[in-house]
Amino acid sequence: MLRAFVIALGGIFLAQGALAEQPAGDAAEGKKRAGMCRTCHGLDGFARIPIAPHIGGEPAPYIEHQLTAFRDGTRTHEMMSVVAKGLDDQAIADLAAWYASQTAHATLPAGAAADSAPEDCVACHGALGLSELEDAPNLAGETVMYLDTQLKAFRTGKRTHDIMSEVAAGLSDEQIRTLAEWYSSIELKIEPAK
Amino acid sequence: MKKILLATVSLLMGAGIAGAQAPVPDNLEKLSNFQSTGTTEFTFIDQSGDYADGIKKNLERIKMPDGFKIGLYAVVPDARHMAVGPQGIVTFVGTRKDKVWSVTDRNKDRVADEVKDFAPSLKFSIPNGPCFSKDGFLYIAEQNRVLVYPAAEFFYESPDVAAFNVVKQGELIPPSEESYNHTARVCKIGPDGKIYISLGQPFNVAPADKLELYKEVGIGGMIRLNTDGTGREVYTYGIRNSVGHDFHPVTGELWFTDNQVDGMGDDIPPGEINRQTAAGQHFGHPWYGGGDTRTNEYAGEEVPVDVVMPASATVAHAADLGMEFYEGNMFPSKYKNAIFSAQHGSWNRTTPVGARVMVTFIDDEGNATTEPFAEGWIDENGEYLGRPVDVAELRDGSILVSDDLAGAIYRIWYEGN
Repeated sequence: MLRAFVIALGGIFLAQGALAEQPAGDAAEGKKRAGMCRTCHGLDGFARIPIAPHIGGEPAPYIEHQLTAFRDGTRTHEMMSVVAKGLDDQAIADLAAWYASQTAHATLPAGAAADSAPEDCVACHGALGLSELEDAPNLAGETVMYLDTQLKAFRTGKRTHDIMSEVAAGLSDEQIRTLAEWYSSIELKIEPAK
Repeated sequence: MKKILLATVSLLMGAGIAGAQAPVPDNLEKLSNFQSTGTTEFTFIDQSGDYADGIKKNLERIKMPDGFKIGLYAVVPDARHMAVGPQGIVTFVGTRKDKVWSVTDRNKDRVADEVKDFAPSLKFSIPNGPCFSKDGFLYIAEQNRVLVYPAAEFFYESPDVAAFNVVKQGELIPPSEESYNHTARVCKIGPDGKIYISLGQPFNVAPADKLELYKEVGIGGMIRLNTDGTGREVYTYGIRNSVGHDFHPVTGELWFTDNQVDGMGDDIPPGEINRQTAAGQHFGHPWYGGGDTRTNEYAGEEVPVDVVMPASATVAHAADLGMEFYEGNMFPSKYKNAIFSAQHGSWNRTTPVGARVMVTFIDDEGNATTEPFAEGWIDENGEYLGRPVDVAELRDGSILVSDDLAGAIYRIWYEGN
């Protein structure tokens, strides 16, 4: 646990290092480009299909990191790899700025207590699934199967990340499902950018 | 009453699924022994109010041939493929999430009275594909297992239902190949009594280093097996991602839709409705991206298999999904044995296409022509008001259309002029 957190801190510096090379994003330009995202992720970042994550209100560095990874082929997805191929650094920064300018709000379901949150996850993703780090995504309200398949992808090495690859390596199918159900049960609302 | 049902089911199972008694996990083990799991409460979906009214308003925009009507049948979150019970009381509806819904029209006014989750004591993973055998066994194809629910039309009233493995967890595909992409499985029982299950391959274009494994397992294809889980074989090769199939009512031939390659431009390659006339035929992926369009990844490579071209080429990227042959008597006679199919709508085309119900007429020589039947789910801003997924026929000859964006099932019926 402590170890994961220390590695997480390393992750912050890595993310900021990556950020330094990125152009500054323009949210208004990003909104114009987001027409290509909205069928799956929604214009405000609240996903419209279960296989897509909610990206509204996520840290801009996380979005930039993922889009860059899809473009460069270090992360693959049959749809995202196709879309990201056509994006330059400026477009990625603009899209990240647009989606990061939304505000995510998370609410626990009735009867759930925040201190029951999975302890392997809370340092980076929060008890309610709102990111605590620039390079960590929000998890609140994602579908069980999205979280389940991402954790399994980290476990098998299809997706890699300094922290997540190690965390997922030690998880059983049942533990993965339990973590996924916790974060999926949290209600996510996205407050649109002004 | 319950005792009689149990006895009936035991008999049915003795006949139907002996050999399906493989070790099963947790609740499934209890359910396979007709024990109560001590869980669980149903989730009921409100069928009236603002949400339902909003959907009804959108339906006023839908255009169809003269004499046809469309109405809201049920509010069903994430509604995907449907299986109408042989008794005509309940329709089971899959999702790409972790729930299956049971949709009941008890008073037979052709609008559902009750929508609740099916078997809430079981954990489902992408239970997209329910299908019924004629004798009332419900099968549900998930990401990586297939279960059978005997007499589901009776047992669904309880949170605990009888459930057995057909293909146990981890054996539909190797767990290392599990994905969330192209994992909306569809099943149907063929005229030979076997269960036919589509297995999409998870890439945009399948990479060369996977082809040998995929061929062996049936990924990027269709498998068939006996309903007790034995006799598995790959029936169809060279599919990219099929999310709908059915058997011609007269010839018994398998027809299926297939979604084609992205990233080659707005207008190529075409989508496909395919006709299979013999076991083992190959439909072209990954050498072809749809129709006779070659993929960039395999451009110039000699195609090592004989390829069957689509019976009907559909508009590029419209995403042809669920389909069913029409066997009812309600619609005008020209629709008899025609295919009704759903286009989900494109996800990254410059101008969206699809989001409609199509009809495919097949002439005596097997030539197929596809045209729009019900459309209007794309508004003037290019936004989706709904995204149709599957078509299923009710006993009265009307058809149901599921929509996983609106979270609804519509009913289309014919009144004449």
